[in-house]
Amino acid sequence: MPRVDGLDRARGQIQFTADIELPGMLHTAVLRSPYARARVTGIDMDAARAARGVRAVLGPGELEVLKQEPSYVGEAVAAVAAETFGQAQAALRQLNAEWDVLEPLLDPDEAVRQESFVSDVKNYERGDFERGVAEGDVAVEAEYRTQVVLHNSMETHQAVCHWEDDGITVYISTQYIWGIRDSVAEHLGLPPDKVRVVCHAMGGGFGSKNSPGDYTPIAAELAKRTGRPVRCALTRREENLAAGNRNATIQRLTAAAKSDGTLTALGGEFVNAIGFSGWSASTEGPMKMLYACENVRTVQYPAKLNLPPMAAFRAPGFVEGTRAEPHWAKRDEVRARSSGPWKHGIGLASQIWYGGGGPPSYAWIRLGSDGRAQVVTAMQDIGTGTRTAMAQIAAEELGIPVEHVRVSLGDSARGPFASISAGSSTIPSMGPAVRSAAADAKRQLIEIAAQRFHLEERVLDIKNGQIVSSDGSSWPLTEITGLLEDGQILGKGARGPNPAGMQVLTFGVQVAEVAVDVETGEVRVDKIVAIHDVGRVINKLGASSQVEGGIIQGVGHTLSEERIVDPATGSILTRTLDAYKMPTIADVPEIVTELVDIPDPHLTNLGSKGLGEPPIIPTAAAIANAIRDATGADVRSLPISREEMLRALREAEAREKERRGAPAAV
Amino acid sequence: MELLRPSSADEAAAALGNGSVALAGGTELVPLLREGLVRAETLVHVSEAVPRGIDGTRIGAGTTLAELEVDPQVPQALREACSLAASPQLRSMGTVGGNLLQATRCWYWRLGFDCWLHGGEQCFAKDGAHREHAIFGHELCASAHPSDVAAALLALGATLRTTRRELPIAELYRLPTADDRSTTTLAPDELILELDVPSPDASTYLKAMDRRKWAFPLVGVAAVRAGGGVRIALAGVAPIPWTLDAPAALDDATPLPGTAYKVEIARALVRRALALVGDSPRSP
Repeated sequence: MPRVDGLDRARGQIQFTADIELPGMLHTAVLRSPYARARVTGIDMDAARAARGVRAVLGPGELEVLKQEPSYVGEAVAAVAAETFGQAQAALRQLNAEWDVLEPLLDPDEAVRQESFVSDVKNYERGDFERGVAEGDVAVEAEYRTQVVLHNSMETHQAVCHWEDDGITVYISTQYIWGIRDSVAEHLGLPPDKVRVVCHAMGGGFGSKNSPGDYTPIAAELAKRTGRPVRCALTRREENLAAGNRNATIQRLTAAAKSDGTLTALGGEFVNAIGFSGWSASTEGPMKMLYACENVRTVQYPAKLNLPPMAAFRAPGFVEGTRAEPHWAKRDEVRARSSGPWKHGIGLASQIWYGGGGPPSYAWIRLGSDGRAQVVTAMQDIGTGTRTAMAQIAAEELGIPVEHVRVSLGDSARGPFASISAGSSTIPSMGPAVRSAAADAKRQLIEIAAQRFHLEERVLDIKNGQIVSSDGSSWPLTEITGLLEDGQILGKGARGPNPAGMQVLTFGVQVAEVAVDVETGEVRVDKIVAIHDVGRVINKLGASSQVEGGIIQGVGHTLSEERIVDPATGSILTRTLDAYKMPTIADVPEIVTELVDIPDPHLTNLGSKGLGEPPIIPTAAAIANAIRDATGADVRSLPISREEMLRALREAEAREKERRGAPAAV
Repeated sequence: MELLRPSSADEAAAALGNGSVALAGGTELVPLLREGLVRAETLVHVSEAVPRGIDGTRIGAGTTLAELEVDPQVPQALREACSLAASPQLRSMGTVGGNLLQATRCWYWRLGFDCWLHGGEQCFAKDGAHREHAIFGHELCASAHPSDVAAALLALGATLRTTRRELPIAELYRLPTADDRSTTTLAPDELILELDVPSPDASTYLKAMDRRKWAFPLVGVAAVRAGGGVRIALAGVAPIPWTLDAPAALDDATPLPGTAYKVEIARALVRRALALVGDSPRSP
């Protein structure tokens, strides 16, 4: 089903946070540290205050997010609110900041040696790893590296804050309305109900918009000081600097197996190059969860560095930690397409991830005399088609056409608490709440109908906008709802608990067909077939869009995207979209999506799991495996740039040469 | 900032220099102004002053890349170089004259590091991050010249007419020196007006980039067969567009640790380009 707001989006009639214009609104520019580690020794606040158009200036230490001693390039130091963004930017130069530059820590292995960590080192073992290695007929060790990639949401991180009466309204591009409400309230020392958070539409987040960032407290404080609405919006350059990232990893892995393929041991040392703060995602997750192997040992080091902090990014940890499966179908057919320098191959990788959602989440349904329903819940649609899916769920349960359902969301003052849109949780958390609310409303309708028609409730149902009785008679729904006159039926629903004694997980496989130019190292992804099991699929069209988006983002991460840092200073060198190379439409392969679409019987309300993250997880591993099939080369680091591809090809050639040169094996 | 719109080349040249900068398509200049890498008190919009259009071998410097890539009078190498450059939107704005004068994409230079090319003491790329950088001519500055079009025109043996002189395109470029760190010989008040691009017997332009569209060349190779000889020029391998006297000259490359892969790519593309212009007849 096409999106209920698709036409409005195409016509530019949807209001994003970036479109909010309030009377008298001021604009903010943020002074960010040009150094990876430094101390501000001087700053001329008065000069900035005196600059044209400036209405307020915040200096180092005035907010928790404005640092006297910034610890990465891009960390906020000061902020200026002015009548125009240009004036605010010009005033930053008047600040004339002076710096004492300190030595940064940039190398993740060095951080591990120094025990510079953002959190505890995580150790895990099941079975006996050493024994497992000894029991294997073969043991393989390899080091893999993954790069830092950036979310680069189309709508940059931003908030507009506005004090009204005795409370504050925060318009913000966010994945978690209620989390923003609580953190802004805490920052300002307000009761949470004095904070209203609004996000009607969002231009992408991918995990980077779960938190308020620095821009929200800056805008809130400047709005408080000036009494004016204040926008604080990151520029595209700031977005590439200070909006979070998928952190780099170094993975030193061991696998041991018997000659029949039975895995006897898996082990890994995982270094997560977190940046200066953030949390350490489970890069070892796939190794622990995906394989039937008794002996597994992992250690994860969360390296703390003078680099911009990580933020959740679409299946954090699992994208970096997923490796390929060593078997594939239709191999010969694909390889036969090779000609000249172009070698073709096929590769497969599988995916495991969470995506079960959970309580608490609430929704209401309002149903009026016209027989039309409104879903009311203070959740957010982060661009994934949530509004459409919720309308479908409500319509199905109520037995009315989906066109008769409106969804009201995106405003903490207009609806009950709703979950964060992260961790592939929106459908599995919110869907059941909406369905329960619709069931509650339907029950009330049937109760009224039973009284009206002198029938037992159990013989009545609602289908296609009709009250139907088991004896075949039917009445238009409006015959009952009309009785309400100005009144309304209110259905209330809550997300119930998850099934006990089990973990709800999602699964999938992707098969990639690639072609590699073995002379120039060019990798072309021709086709990706994606098969995912997320239980029942609510909206097939929306779901396939999710899969395509995940794969396209995955192709970028695999082949061309990389945040590059100056190794001496820690300065971020790729700040624009010509330097940081996301895929263009020409880089997108043919994508075939097949969703299993069988309700998960353990999720009794809706049977659906989340699909936001699963599609990006196996893409890189499937492509790497296909490259191996095509060329025999083992790529070890992402992105698979020309130099990495050529390195792997030369390494494979040398190995082959050595094998041929060696005396005949047994 | 003031914007002038002179109606003749003489008027435009008179307005240039002393803090006045020529503006054509703006795809390069406007971002540089915004970043503070170019400072200008006056912008001289030259669209009325510089010829635009294609007449046989003569190409107005104000002709856009989008116009060049579809015109059958234009040699194959130049058409391919145009169509592989930038994006359709940028090619619709960017002019061939402006394209020849674009600055390096070196990230240190673009971010305003006090690097050698900006007049500082050291090239940060050499010991720093330099996968996009030079394999030739980088004794002082390791930047790579990003113009696909310039490499094609160099191999095609184009001649430029400016407000002051006529010169072979090879003489437009110079490796920067300690005394003069500019990469072109164009005077601040000199405008490129027209190009003369002789018709070759065969020509082609091949390009390796990080994605399939809208990226500057890691390596670009133009090969042209004309008058019994073959000329090769490379983009993305030196601070200026680079003439390769013979394929074997790639043996003299002095790559940085992170640019050695470019030599390998260049070898393959040179071999392919030569096969394309030599072995089979192609439309010029």
